[in-house]
Amino acid sequence: MGALLKWSAGVALLCASQATTAATVGPVTDDLGVIRIAKGAPIQIGAYWVLSGADTALGLDEKRGVEIAFKDMGGKLLGHPLKLNAEDDGCNAEGGQTAATKLAANPQTVIVLGPACSSAATPGAPILWQQGIVDICTACTAPALTAPTRKKEYDGFARTVFSDSEQGKADATYVHNVLKAPSVVTIHDGSPYAQQLQQVMADNFRQLGGKVLSQEAIAPTDVDMKPLLTRIASEKPDLIYFPVFTAAAAQIVRQARGTPGLEKTKLMGGGSLLSADFIEAAGPAVVGFIIGYPDLSPEAMGKNYPKFVEEYKKAYNEAPISGYHANAYDGAMLAVKAIEKVAKTDKDGNLYIGKKALRDAVFATTFDGISGPIACDQYGECSQFKPSVLEFTSSDPKTFGVGKNPKKIWP
Amino acid sequence: MVGRNIARLNAVDVVLWGLRVGVVAVVVIGTVGTLIKGRYNAAQWFDFIMFGLTIGSIYAQIALGYTMVYGVLRLINFAHGDIVMTGAFAGYFVAMPLDRSGFLEDNPVLAMAAILLVAVIVSTSIAVLTERIAYRPFRRVVGLAPLICAIGVSFFLEQTFRGMFGSAVKSYPDPQWQRAAFHVFGFNVPRIDVLVIGLALIFMGLLYLIVQRTRMGTAMRAVAEDGEAAALMGIDVNKVVVFTFVLGGAMAGIAGVFYAFVYKQVYFLMGFTPGIKAFGAAVLGGIGNIPGAMLGGFFLGMVESVGPTLFLDGIGIPAPYQLRDLIAFTLLIMVLIFRPHGLLGEALAKKRA
Repeated sequence: MGALLKWSAGVALLCASQATTAATVGPVTDDLGVIRIAKGAPIQIGAYWVLSGADTALGLDEKRGVEIAFKDMGGKLLGHPLKLNAEDDGCNAEGGQTAATKLAANPQTVIVLGPACSSAATPGAPILWQQGIVDICTACTAPALTAPTRKKEYDGFARTVFSDSEQGKADATYVHNVLKAPSVVTIHDGSPYAQQLQQVMADNFRQLGGKVLSQEAIAPTDVDMKPLLTRIASEKPDLIYFPVFTAAAAQIVRQARGTPGLEKTKLMGGGSLLSADFIEAAGPAVVGFIIGYPDLSPEAMGKNYPKFVEEYKKAYNEAPISGYHANAYDGAMLAVKAIEKVAKTDKDGNLYIGKKALRDAVFATTFDGISGPIACDQYGECSQFKPSVLEFTSSDPKTFGVGKNPKKIWP
Repeated sequence: MVGRNIARLNAVDVVLWGLRVGVVAVVVIGTVGTLIKGRYNAAQWFDFIMFGLTIGSIYAQIALGYTMVYGVLRLINFAHGDIVMTGAFAGYFVAMPLDRSGFLEDNPVLAMAAILLVAVIVSTSIAVLTERIAYRPFRRVVGLAPLICAIGVSFFLEQTFRGMFGSAVKSYPDPQWQRAAFHVFGFNVPRIDVLVIGLALIFMGLLYLIVQRTRMGTAMRAVAEDGEAAALMGIDVNKVVVFTFVLGGAMAGIAGVFYAFVYKQVYFLMGFTPGIKAFGAAVLGGIGNIPGAMLGGFFLGMVESVGPTLFLDGIGIPAPYQLRDLIAFTLLIMVLIFRPHGLLGEALAKKRA
């Protein structure tokens, strides 16, 4: 018993000393530890996105954005090659947890980019921060991730994408003031992204004087939406708002068309649906369907965005396949600029990066990104939001192109 | 006497009875409440029932594959849902060119026959190959190894199809004749629902006749009763097992095409959820029992479709459709508590005895 107590006290002491004592490696001293990168060894940047399943385009588009950013840097930073270790998180909590654990287990992971989905970021970011690794998210937009009320375990989380508290407000404004729809029904799929976005939209819609008839929920794997839509039809809403993901959203769009009572009801989705895959999944019913999205038109984006798009087309033989490539590019640039600020090289050419210093540098770095100005607030929100509404114009996935199909209809 | 019976009750009995009373109370109070509210008109109730019958007929067809294989091999063929997916994919690659050429629109009967035929050939071939390559070596193995093997086959099929055809959701054609509806007594009956339910009943009836009236069907039932005794009587068990996988694979292929025509999407993971639900339906009906699997499928479909509205609307539970699986599987557990052998399982057990 006595031995056990001594052992426990020893472990507690060790943990306490780890939490408070700064580590010194080479020329760098840092409270959270120091990463040493041997001369000529790569700077390893971790990443996790959805790279399989129905929402692949979302993550792949961001991965490409980061790859272009690395290419623009010449593939090197401070004389070391840049290496991207990308993991697939499947756009779900389990996948996010696994991917983050794997990245955190690599002592050479300097910083992590991604994910695309808030469901993956919610469990992933605390796992990374436990190891002192900063996570710059490139598309997860759930408000709670950068809210002033967020927990300490999210201190290492920042994002170069807007918060859905802005998106939900803009969507509510559009529905109420532009469409003049007096009543809505919302649907979410239980994911942090969908749940929080529809809640923000519903709250803002009520504040504007609109009526939220009900807030429904589905499972992301549901295919038979007809009973739910029949139930919604009995409430006679003017608009159904469902910021869910590709497979389920496509089913709602398709099945709503044939549901008696919903013939005149408008349908509106979220940014997760900006992809050719969604057009393919939804088929002819996609024409006329609208989504709320940040404004990606050249006049709203940073001045280098058109050049980036050309580079993208050249590298992958197609136009951007989803909408968060610019945020991912800026996320990578933010990481690189922060590393440049804090990294120190010893006389043998080894590189040292302090983890806390890197976190502080990420939060302090400002620059003009291709998605707009990047400047983080104290809660890690680094992006500026400009709203827009896009409408799908054709059911042919080959016509997909932001600004063409779907085309911007507001503002 | 009553006192003695009460004294015999243990805590588990009390909890189980409490659970039964609770579920029955929710069902009764919810149903009465919903009907009194009168929020839905007759046409909407009719729609709920049609949706339930449609998805139920698909579950029933898939459940048949589970139940037949279990009956003959005592194996839970976890990969059966993925056999459904292979059928849907095969149908997709026939349906798309037929749709583009206009043949699917102009000649629905011939086009559907071609799509179903190809789907059945592909799903049956994969089911038979699965049995030959993966399951047969485990035939005499006792324990969980065959189940783990079946789970492995499931992953193998999913990832193979993902590798070959990508992970994006593909859209099934949507010809005009499927979108049309019949008008019966003021109700709109979607043509595709009638087609799927009708054809599913016909195919299931045919399967039942094959199992009950043909020589091979009799052999199949004999192997299901007692494999070793059947082998001693000169029945080629391997042949019977292959025949079982042929029937199960064919039904899976048909179910895959129907599923894709109703819900218009195919992708590599599409078989997983209906597979699990159909397995639940097979257990509900009494695993190993063919009419039971059909009944279980329809029951599950109906509960999923009508249950959330009928039971939960009346007691004011918001967003009841997120609880659809919970309701379906709670009722499934309730049935199994009352009838551990499933809805029709006991009759078979008695017959065997």
